[in-house]
Amino acid sequence: MDEEPERAKRWEGGYERTWEILKEDESGSLKATVEEILFQAKRKRVFESHGQVRLGMMRHLCVVIDTSRTMEDQDLKPNRLTSTLKVRKRGDRGDVGIITTKNKRAEKLTDLAGNPKKHIAALRNAKDSTCGGEPSLYNSLNLAMQTLKHMPAHSSKEVLIILSSLTTCDPANIYDLVKTLKALKIRVSVIGLSAEVRVCTVLTRETGGSYHVILDESHFRELLMFHVKPPPASASSECSLIRMGFPQHTIASLSDQDAKPSFSQAHLDSTSGGPGLSLGGYFCPQCHAKYTELPVECKICGLTLVSAPHLARSFHHLFPLEAFQESPLELHQGERFCVACQGELRDKSVFTCPWCCSVFCVECDLFIHDILHCCPSCIHSRP
Amino acid sequence: MVMASEDEVSLLVIVVDVNPIWWGQQANREPQFTLSKCLDAVMVMGNSHLVMTRNNKLAIIASHCQESHFLYPFKLWKSGDGHGDDNPSTSGDGKYELLSVANDIMAEEIKILMSRTEVKGNQTDTLLAGSLAKALCYIHRVTKELEAGQEIKSRILVIKAADDCALQYMNFMNVIFAAQKQSILIDACVLDSDSGLLQQACDITGGLYLMIPQKIALAQYLLWVFLPDSDQRSQLVLPPPVHVDYRAACFCHRNLIEIGYVCSVCLSIFCNFSPICTTCETAFKIPLPQMVKAKKKKLKPST
Repeated sequence: MDEEPERAKRWEGGYERTWEILKEDESGSLKATVEEILFQAKRKRVFESHGQVRLGMMRHLCVVIDTSRTMEDQDLKPNRLTSTLKVRKRGDRGDVGIITTKNKRAEKLTDLAGNPKKHIAALRNAKDSTCGGEPSLYNSLNLAMQTLKHMPAHSSKEVLIILSSLTTCDPANIYDLVKTLKALKIRVSVIGLSAEVRVCTVLTRETGGSYHVILDESHFRELLMFHVKPPPASASSECSLIRMGFPQHTIASLSDQDAKPSFSQAHLDSTSGGPGLSLGGYFCPQCHAKYTELPVECKICGLTLVSAPHLARSFHHLFPLEAFQESPLELHQGERFCVACQGELRDKSVFTCPWCCSVFCVECDLFIHDILHCCPSCIHSRP
Repeated sequence: MVMASEDEVSLLVIVVDVNPIWWGQQANREPQFTLSKCLDAVMVMGNSHLVMTRNNKLAIIASHCQESHFLYPFKLWKSGDGHGDDNPSTSGDGKYELLSVANDIMAEEIKILMSRTEVKGNQTDTLLAGSLAKALCYIHRVTKELEAGQEIKSRILVIKAADDCALQYMNFMNVIFAAQKQSILIDACVLDSDSGLLQQACDITGGLYLMIPQKIALAQYLLWVFLPDSDQRSQLVLPPPVHVDYRAACFCHRNLIEIGYVCSVCLSIFCNFSPICTTCETAFKIPLPQMVKAKKKKLKPST
């Protein structure tokens, strides 16, 4: 085991005088300081651009949710389990599978699949299940490893553990499992809901993942968002050209002469009921098997079927938007209005795009970087 | 029919394609349908939306080849006087003041826009993606400025004249996904030729796409198809959805392909296998047939 990195714990640091941050102005009000704190909170996210580093775009992620006794704690409203299940965001290209662990065992809730609907339905059902017993890190990691072991080498294999308990009940030495995970290049990250646990620190450090403990619910949400972004690809993951199919969606109506109803391959195995016969759908270009939803892997010929928008959704990770330059409002000459939303500039800073030098307000800056991913003025001059 | 309550605000943003080259050619082809007729129809649509409920809001953006300009609402807080002080808004025919003010502002702004911009040789495509981006930022601001307890439903109506510009594909897709995330519908009313980008936008966001058979009846189509909002649309019989071609175009020839090869690093699409990706210059592993090893059978101990 290599040495622990030097890290000062909070109790080891000096005595902090937190009241000195607050400053009163002449009339004795704290309004200016409070506004400043709110403003900083809006700007908290640091925009790191990975630049020339390759990102792991095809990702297979296993999410392990701890459903042990401690998840019924009320410190996250209404209880920790419901809070976790509420915040589910669709990831990028790749597949997600969910595992739950309680009573010293681990169970697979849903298999690895690209379409989020099944996961969301399973999570909704899981909300009502009871929590009990102790979680088992070893068993859940073992289960995740079984699934991820068979994934192709060019995809990035990740496990995200949401751990609320401070204990784990393992049948064997977990450090051996850590060595195996490292050899298989599986990256494990942990989000702790209660406190820092040393075995998780070691686990994440050895496999190259990240370990965070949440402060409150919004911090929890931010951490999950952080994991949605594709991580930098490790040098050892292979780059390959993946063969994919782009099926056409045929909408046939009953009045068409040639329309023949057919079964969707996905429904043949499912137990959700319904006849499954339908007229239109997506036909695999190689074997003409029908599917109702994309993305999916064709069961007959093994071709991955996607549609072009699925790939386009990930483009903004490859060509990220640069952060805008912040400058105080007083120094800004020219008309005081935001180019994007046509509103008046009222905040104390304005943001300038380094390429086209247009000025934006705080809200537009956040909107552009989080949701829009392109500068509205730049796309006027350089489409 | 479901009545909108006092707390529901419906915001409609109309993006009008005012590409001067296309409209100039159109004036020669069909003199009875010119840009001013088109804007009359847009004004009728805007007025109708404003009088449906007191809470309805409107914005109109003109999409030109060099800029996108907000025709309405006007920036009244400019230092100096706004239009409201100089020209009294009474139109003399008893029209509701809000509507006559809106129409006057729109007419004034479009005249200023068309007279001040000069078309340069290589920039002849309408900057539709840019106008949509500005529309989304405007909607975002209005949503933030709502009073407590009010809900807002927004949609964007695009009136498209000139052809698509393939260079705008990526920005267009960013805008479409942003609109989908914010639950904003994008409707499209196409005057001339079908637009693949707008078909995808309408399909992904859940809006309506229609190519108008007769341009002079634009006002009729706008009022019939695009005026009702999303709640009321389920109770009407509207034009059926069109078949959208979601096949990808390969990066090397720009052909539409059904089976292609995707680089795992940069997601570029190619029609043929090549050892190097031209976009990110990664060298690929060439898949060799795998050697099958002879399996050794292990004797399991009896349990």
